[in-house]
Amino acid sequence: MFSEQAAQRAHTLLSPPSASNATFARVPVSTYTNSSQPFRLGERSFSRQYAHIYATRLLQMRPFLVSRAEQHWGDGVQVKKLCELQPGEKCCVVGTLFKAMPLQPSILREISEEHNLLPQPPRSKYIHPDDELILEDELQRIKLEGSIDASKLVTGTVLAVLGSARDSGKFLVEDHCFAELAPQKPAPPLDTDRFVLLVSGLGLGGGGGESLLGTQLLVDVVTGQLGDEGEQCSAAHVSRVILAGNLLSYNTQSRDSINKAKYLTKKTQAASVEAVKMLDEILLQLSASVPVDVMPGEFDPTNYTLPQQPLHPCMFPLATAYSTLQLVTNPYQATIDGVRFLGTSGQNVSDIFRYSSMEDHLEILEWTLRVRHISPTAPDTLGCYPFYKTDPFIFPECPHVYFCGNTPKFGSKIFLGPEEQRVLLVAVPDFSTTQTACLVNLRSLACQPISFSGFGAEDEDLGGLGLGP
Amino acid sequence: MADQLYLENIDEFVTDQNKIVTYKWLSYTLGVHVNQAKQMLYDYVERKRKENSGAQLHVTYLVSGSLIQNGHSCHKVAVVREDKLEAVKSKLAVTASIHVYSIQKAMLKDSGPLFNTDYDILKSNLQNCSKFSAIQCAAAVPRAAAESSSSEKFEQSNLQVSSETPANNELTTNGHSLPTSKQIFQQPKGIMGMFASKAASKTQDVNKETKTETKEVTNVSTGNKAPGKGNVMSNFFGKAAMNKLKVNLDSEQAVKEEKIVEQPPVSVTEPNLAAPTGLKKSSKKAEPVKMQQKEKKRGKRVELSDDETKETENMKKKRRRIKLPESDSSEDEVIPDSPGDYEAESPSPPPPPSPPPEPLPNNEPEPPSVKSSSGEKRKRKRVLKSKTFVDEEGCIVTEKVYESESCTDSEDELKMKTSSVHRPSTMTVKKEPKEERKGPKKGTAALGKANRQVSITGFFQRK
Repeated sequence: MFSEQAAQRAHTLLSPPSASNATFARVPVSTYTNSSQPFRLGERSFSRQYAHIYATRLLQMRPFLVSRAEQHWGDGVQVKKLCELQPGEKCCVVGTLFKAMPLQPSILREISEEHNLLPQPPRSKYIHPDDELILEDELQRIKLEGSIDASKLVTGTVLAVLGSARDSGKFLVEDHCFAELAPQKPAPPLDTDRFVLLVSGLGLGGGGGESLLGTQLLVDVVTGQLGDEGEQCSAAHVSRVILAGNLLSYNTQSRDSINKAKYLTKKTQAASVEAVKMLDEILLQLSASVPVDVMPGEFDPTNYTLPQQPLHPCMFPLATAYSTLQLVTNPYQATIDGVRFLGTSGQNVSDIFRYSSMEDHLEILEWTLRVRHISPTAPDTLGCYPFYKTDPFIFPECPHVYFCGNTPKFGSKIFLGPEEQRVLLVAVPDFSTTQTACLVNLRSLACQPISFSGFGAEDEDLGGLGLGP
Repeated sequence: MADQLYLENIDEFVTDQNKIVTYKWLSYTLGVHVNQAKQMLYDYVERKRKENSGAQLHVTYLVSGSLIQNGHSCHKVAVVREDKLEAVKSKLAVTASIHVYSIQKAMLKDSGPLFNTDYDILKSNLQNCSKFSAIQCAAAVPRAAAESSSSEKFEQSNLQVSSETPANNELTTNGHSLPTSKQIFQQPKGIMGMFASKAASKTQDVNKETKTETKEVTNVSTGNKAPGKGNVMSNFFGKAAMNKLKVNLDSEQAVKEEKIVEQPPVSVTEPNLAAPTGLKKSSKKAEPVKMQQKEKKRGKRVELSDDETKETENMKKKRRRIKLPESDSSEDEVIPDSPGDYEAESPSPPPPPSPPPEPLPNNEPEPPSVKSSSGEKRKRKRVLKSKTFVDEEGCIVTEKVYESESCTDSEDELKMKTSSVHRPSTMTVKKEPKEERKGPKKGTAALGKANRQVSITGFFQRK
């Protein structure tokens, strides 16, 4: 682990100056390939309907589900389409799930005058005991009932259900299964410890001074300014830093300036301008020392719909001077030193959190992996580009490290798949609130949180440092 | 001795200047490796305490190590006050490093000032922020300046139409820009010579601009200089002007290719005139060349007043070739920074009243802001614009004028439309000779406004 390795060298800094000071060379990038090409959009046309993305999703997922169904329920199971269903006959159906939620914000209901409804205030969860599940395939839809838990599932999931159709026109479910993990290529073994630092939610421009010191300490550790020689030597093994979204804080969005009269906002600068300048300086310090990948997040100045396109380099005049700075998409996938990384800035997970009863972000992350889709709720409740040829959010193969940013707390888990896939799931916490980042060890596929703190007037009993009893 | 020197330095910083001396601050100030700075601080503290145990010194330490928390082994990095150091150390399972973070005279309530100190020293050393660090990265090499300026071209190329070489090529290929960087070397110097007062600050911009220019040498040779120069000039103006200027220049490039031939002689003459106060002189020299060009020009003329600084002259030249596209008319009346800029820019008092051969019309800070009020066609329309400039007496004059591409004799009249009060009549005298000079130069200008009096002083012109 990082700490143990760091502690191995003798402490030299509590002593008079020595003649020479060690300088460590950053581990060179041995292999890096950016495989986010499916998430890059070229010419964008929004004149298409979203039905096509569901059609292609079902088309792509169907073969995986059929093979899983045969694995689970035996080769003899009959896989039928909805139009071929006979009442009372036990069979398996593959389709896309739709969850009818009465609490789901519906713009049509809001603007409909006959209902005279006030707009619904945002809630943290929109689930309700009355939610119903409906299975849709290419041609028909049917209501599901039985041993299937509606609260855990979300719209857009493609799954296979085993059961039989009732006379009432509903489908009684006995069992269901997901596509599970995609095949995984094993990662080549590494001989030295190499780390990748995952940070998300820097939240610049948020006005909180405490997190700025934490951010500065983070940058200092990675660039080798802070710490003793042992720690600096370990930090030199950090081969990459990935900033997973929300570099700017929610406060920089200045949404109300749209509603204000123009004469009030004429000469005011957007809050994001200062924040981006600060971000540029931080990126300059980082990219002068380590390769950095910057992913946009929910509050960053890029497009809203998934997949979010990279931030424009013109915003970072100082930092783009270094070729180590890479501006990448959200979601992002790359192969770093032979280890496949795939991750998002957290919008997919937080959207599923709102529409299902799952509480733990790490659990949701695992669930998306098992469903073999990064973001099943897109385009229903999460903005998404109207794809029609392919759905790029389906996992083509299983990554080694799967992360999502901006979670409320740190979480990490090794997940084992049915075909001996081994995935490290990392829930990267929001740095502006937790002052915690994640160090992933590429050799052992383990993750260690690293947290930073200063001291304040109120920290009389080390509570702020998390070192209390 | 060198050893004692740093001790004295630290002593001075802490006790005399009452500064907060962090290891990073010391490292940048003394130019030493960060670890050495930490050791220096420690040494100082030890000695000071030995000599004088009642010394007013507060020290903060950095402690890092691992700790079992929620089932994970969490690595903690914390800045702690001296009094908490032992407590924190005892909590950590494995201590990775401890060193002095900062020394200050007063007790700190919280770590905010530490961050401020570090931030300030970092801001002043941004370019070599990893110089004294313990980790050096071989891959972190700044891109060549030519490449980096291609990112500036991003903005331009987005606006520009078609025919230029894809800016993307510039980003990926290192090859082209480097050999051409030598060519442009003279140009920045020449341009800088003209902008003496702003030479230093604008050097980098100029270099970048001219570099972007030469990139497009293959396609649109001097047309490229236009954006370069235009951008240099636009540096003097506010952002609003910048956008308009860019739009202007871009459209200009898209439209005119023949002007390229004419441009080089003019542009070349400019670099050659490296006289620092030669703004006006150079404009004079460029005059004859411009005159010829103006004959050939089929398009718009913009008149610059003789008070205008060189940039505006250049901008005017470019504007002449432009069929100005429509742009937002809301900016016509607003000239954000131009008054201030103009003040700073005019390096010398306006030229002598003897009519300097400046066929340059009244300066418009935003050449591209000549917007037509109607549609997308590049008509030569007159648009009401405010122009601010320093006249020969050193007064700042703002006037609303109708700007038009098709400059005619009547243009001067139009320019006098709503002049400000202190405009001396001598100005009008100057205007006349200018006007006359402009007369022959206007080639195919429309003379529609020939007899219209647009401003109260308009009839002064008609002597």
